[in-house]
Amino acid sequence: MKRFVAAAAISLLALSACGESSSPAVPGAASPQSDVLAKAPVATAAEILPGSTMEKIKQRGELLVGGSLDAPLLSQQNPATGEVEGFDAQMGKALAKYILGEPKVKIVNSASETREALLANGTVDVVFQTYTITEERARQVAFAGPYYTSGLTIAVKKGTTGITKPEDLNGKKVLAGANTPAIPAIKKLAPQAEIITFGSDPECIQALKQDRGVAYVQDETILIADAKKDPSIEIVTKPFTTDPYGIGLEHGDDQMKKFVNDWLKKMQDAGVWQEIWKTSIGTVVTGDAPAPPQIGSVPGS
Amino acid sequence: MEVLLEHLPELWQGLIVTVQLTAVSFAGAAVLGVLVCALRVSPVRVLRTLGTAYVETLQNLPLLVLLVLAVFGLPEIGVQANLMVTAIVVIAVYEAAYIGEALRSGVNAVSKGQGEAARAIGLTFGQSLRHVVLPQALRTVVQPIGNIFIATTMNTALAAAVGVVDLTAAANRVNLVEAQPIPIFVGAGVAYGLIAAAAGFVTGRLERRLVILR
Repeated sequence: MKRFVAAAAISLLALSACGESSSPAVPGAASPQSDVLAKAPVATAAEILPGSTMEKIKQRGELLVGGSLDAPLLSQQNPATGEVEGFDAQMGKALAKYILGEPKVKIVNSASETREALLANGTVDVVFQTYTITEERARQVAFAGPYYTSGLTIAVKKGTTGITKPEDLNGKKVLAGANTPAIPAIKKLAPQAEIITFGSDPECIQALKQDRGVAYVQDETILIADAKKDPSIEIVTKPFTTDPYGIGLEHGDDQMKKFVNDWLKKMQDAGVWQEIWKTSIGTVVTGDAPAPPQIGSVPGS
Repeated sequence: MEVLLEHLPELWQGLIVTVQLTAVSFAGAAVLGVLVCALRVSPVRVLRTLGTAYVETLQNLPLLVLLVLAVFGLPEIGVQANLMVTAIVVIAVYEAAYIGEALRSGVNAVSKGQGEAARAIGLTFGQSLRHVVLPQALRTVVQPIGNIFIATTMNTALAAAVGVVDLTAAANRVNLVEAQPIPIFVGAGVAYGLIAAAAGFVTGRLERRLVILR
């Protein structure tokens, strides 16, 4: 009996030791993404105007961000850690740090159907969700930024011929993510194309490989990541649209809009914006961070 | 409101697809449902087990799971049809389990004596089902079948998730451009509501016409 207990104790010790030694190897445990935020700016007390939205957020102690949980490189929940990672997610945390002094956010999973309503009724303070600034939307929400510019491009199964520009999609079956700006863009450039939509990017890739459509139109960043993972697809065009992403705010909240724009400027000047890009989108797109778009340069922003 | 009028053609097209999905898959489900019901009340044990297995499997899996499996899984084993056909077949197969169960409750409502009498005059199982039991069973379950029809209408919205451009998908696409979810989705909701109300009205009329006073 004694022997057995001893053996059990030793094996337990061995196990726990093993657990300890291997813990740094757990994926995502010490992510480089959190280091970036250490350099992010914090607002001075004078900038948090009394009675403003910023002050309300500060009193609450948490920034409520409308965002996705399933957008690779932009805002995706890591199943191992539960943390939401990516460019949009990091920007949200950086804004939280600017207001609160610590990156405390609660990400509310919003969708393109619900974003305007969530902002209008105060469920979320800001929206970071590849929210393309358009004049139609600017009638219902305020946009700070743009904080990033991206564009749509076309992916096909390797070996597909005859598709080199968006107009070539006319008369063909084209895949697109449901609720992405790809749908109106295809309708405009190739009105005869039959658009087939699926909810998520992996579904669209699967559908492309199963020949449900000959081409897949999606944001360039996402397609680059897809093509890296899956050698059977290739990208055939340069981006053919310019989509300026804005930070969605409650309509008419000019104080908050100015505050967020000032923050964005500081982020860019301090190089934090560029570092966030490097640790998210920059992991699949080669080269240096692009020049950030001019704040307020887009109609609607 | 004007958002709806401006995009009426797209939404109308979506509504037509929804109606087609509902009508065809419900017709398929009705035929399959009668078969499932026949299996479940059959005197042969193996057939009964088969019927029970069908109903239990399909009633216990969410329709969305079935749709995604059929759309993305079946092509992996070489079975691929277009999205609309796949959606219709899956919804029909799914709703058949419910119709089968509704019909079975109707069959159980037919008194035992009816079946015995049918057998006594020499009808086979199939004949007694066809001429004696089912006609009476169907009349008792007009209302539950009508409810299943309404449920089928609502369930077709799930086809939007697998690429069919029905009313829900069409509304989504309009909203993407216009960013006015409330009028757009309320409009789509009203259209679904009208289909359901029409179904309710028809079942009500049918029930009154077909009622058997016992």
